[in-house]
Amino acid sequence: MFTSLKAGEKGKIVDISHVGNLVKRRLLDLGITEGSEICVKCVMPFGGPIMIESCGQCVGIRRKEAVQIEVERI
Amino acid sequence: MEIALIGNPNTGKTSLFNNLTGSYEYVGNWSGVTVEKKVGVFKNNIGRLIDLPGVYTLNPLSRDEGVVTSFFLNDSVDRLLNILDASQLERNLHLTMQLLEFEKPLLIGLNMIDVASQRGIMIDAKKLSEKLGVPVVPVVARSGKGCDQLVDTISTKSFTPVKKNLVNYGVEVEKAIADLSQELAGKTEHSKRFLAIQYFEGNEYVKNYVTQIVDGEKLQAISAKLEESIKKSYEVKTLPNFIYMKRKAAIETIIAETTSRRDGVVPLSEKIDSIVTNKYLGMPIFLLLMYLMFMLTFDWLGTPMSDALDGLLTGPVASGIENALTAVHASAFIHALIIEGLVAGVGGVLVFVPQIFILFFFISLLEDSGYMARVALVMDRIMESVGLNGKAFIPMMIGFGCNVPGIMAARTIETPRERLLTILLTPLMSCSARLPVYALFVGAFFAAHKAFIVLSLYVLGIVVALILAKLFSSTMLKSQTSLFVIELPPYRLPQFQSLWRSTWDKGKGFVRKAGTFIFAGSVFIWILSYAGPGGLKVEMDDSFLAAIGGVIAPILAPIGFGTWQAAASLITGFLAKEAIISTMNIIYFVPSDSSLQGLLANYYTPLAAYSFMVFILLYIPCLATTATIYKETGSKKWTAFAIGYALVIAYVLSLIIYQGGKLFGLV
Repeated sequence: MFTSLKAGEKGKIVDISHVGNLVKRRLLDLGITEGSEICVKCVMPFGGPIMIESCGQCVGIRRKEAVQIEVERI
Repeated sequence: MEIALIGNPNTGKTSLFNNLTGSYEYVGNWSGVTVEKKVGVFKNNIGRLIDLPGVYTLNPLSRDEGVVTSFFLNDSVDRLLNILDASQLERNLHLTMQLLEFEKPLLIGLNMIDVASQRGIMIDAKKLSEKLGVPVVPVVARSGKGCDQLVDTISTKSFTPVKKNLVNYGVEVEKAIADLSQELAGKTEHSKRFLAIQYFEGNEYVKNYVTQIVDGEKLQAISAKLEESIKKSYEVKTLPNFIYMKRKAAIETIIAETTSRRDGVVPLSEKIDSIVTNKYLGMPIFLLLMYLMFMLTFDWLGTPMSDALDGLLTGPVASGIENALTAVHASAFIHALIIEGLVAGVGGVLVFVPQIFILFFFISLLEDSGYMARVALVMDRIMESVGLNGKAFIPMMIGFGCNVPGIMAARTIETPRERLLTILLTPLMSCSARLPVYALFVGAFFAAHKAFIVLSLYVLGIVVALILAKLFSSTMLKSQTSLFVIELPPYRLPQFQSLWRSTWDKGKGFVRKAGTFIFAGSVFIWILSYAGPGGLKVEMDDSFLAAIGGVIAPILAPIGFGTWQAAASLITGFLAKEAIISTMNIIYFVPSDSSLQGLLANYYTPLAAYSFMVFILLYIPCLATTATIYKETGSKKWTAFAIGYALVIAYVLSLIIYQGGKLFGLV
């Protein structure tokens, strides 16, 4: 689970299939899909979105979607 | 010759467009600045350049992306100019691959090579050009470096792609492409390979297009058969995913051969981000920035400048015109028209130019620096709780400048429901045209707390919008789907020149409106106040204007300003919010020795003044905004709703403030 990563920690996406179609498509557009390495940059308070970095670009996604992404710590 | 600019969002297409055509279109550092196609002519007249919204792929998710796909399917274009962000080459090439499949002459502008090399990414443009089979020209769109060479290449070289089918999608897909192409043979002028691949990827626009020309069921059968065989032979979940992976593999090969990496420096962006999107500091920093913006606009800088301009206009300029009129022996009617109508009406609006420019300067700064997308991120949690998403905050922030571009900016919101909600609520954002009213009234009644009172109005607009969002999304606009994925662009140090241009571009609309709309309106209002049922040159209270205002005035009495003057200015406010000020200046015309501000105290109490400002903030979207709402929603019903709910909410809130305030003994 994505949220097991703390800010500054890195991981690799193992499974993204549980995420809703629209979000999955948008992440794919940004080049974020299974196999992508990501780094959690910061986590907003009160269950707010998280900011991740992948291949040098920063992307904000919601916590509830992040939770559905299977990540392996590296 | 028609050349279309196309590329990923926020890669600098519009910057390049401005550079190549010498025009000025809206630019900013966030994804989705351009939401419409824009046409310009090359400086050296070699043809027309078409600027399109940024897209990641030709398979659209949102409305602004749909603009691009429809353009490809329905408009004719001679050449494509594909702008790539060199620091994000891999993602950018996904679009390039699709463009190459479109089989139109293509030229690549490799932008942001400076950013890429800072990050340690070196791209061999010549080799990239060989691999892709089209010319590649490195440029820096922000500074204009390389643009000459780009124009040179466009006008001299032919750039029909030399290589075909850069991506091999595998036996099964290639076979299906051939089958589908056969169905389409002779029925379309577009690349059949392109249509087939987009069809397999589930592109709705292409699907609509092809089913218009051939039998949809046959195509569906080919696609379904393909998907089945792909799923059987390979370990993939869907056909679009398979196509994506094939494309990705081809791109990776190209990248490996054309780019080299060495260690770059840690971008400054990350250091700034650790502060402005900090868990605890993010929101306070945003509010602090807003507060600074208001203090500068209304207190520290803006007010002294406006006062100085006011002194100049009511003093030397007015008396100069007066002397000139006397010198040419103008008739009493002309004299009164110019001094009491035009100078009062137009001058009364022009006085606020400095404050409006300061406000626009800050909005441009927010857009140019890259902070805008961060605000969307910071605000998402709150927006989500009322059934919107953080991206909706961007149209609202832009709405502070002018509601019209704000409503247009809602196009980047992917889900139709959230987009509609944002369109309906953006008019509640206090636009710059409402600013003169506040400036006048706070100057007259709340001189000690100017910025604070005005800030309270802006915040009130946001709070009302959020409450209504919650109300609407839990009643008539119910739906679960919400999407929030936002790209956070690297920070850029805004260049003074581009900041000034973007401030000027936004601000000149205000000045122009003062010279046209407000000018004509002032003449009209003055004549209405000069003439009455009893003839010309009547007392103001017997004029047509008083008669019209008098009809509405009783309705406004419970909210504190039941005068015909207030009613008349509110009516003109529908045409343009600044018109409220020109109308008041004309109605309350006084010789220059006493000011409108002083005079207002005879007509309003401070409580009534606040109630009036709240009413102005909310009561109706102006004519231009109403037209934009209609254009963007395509629905008379929603447009009428936007006007109707605003009137109701404004009246109710003003009533609560005025009657409630009286109850607590305020005056």
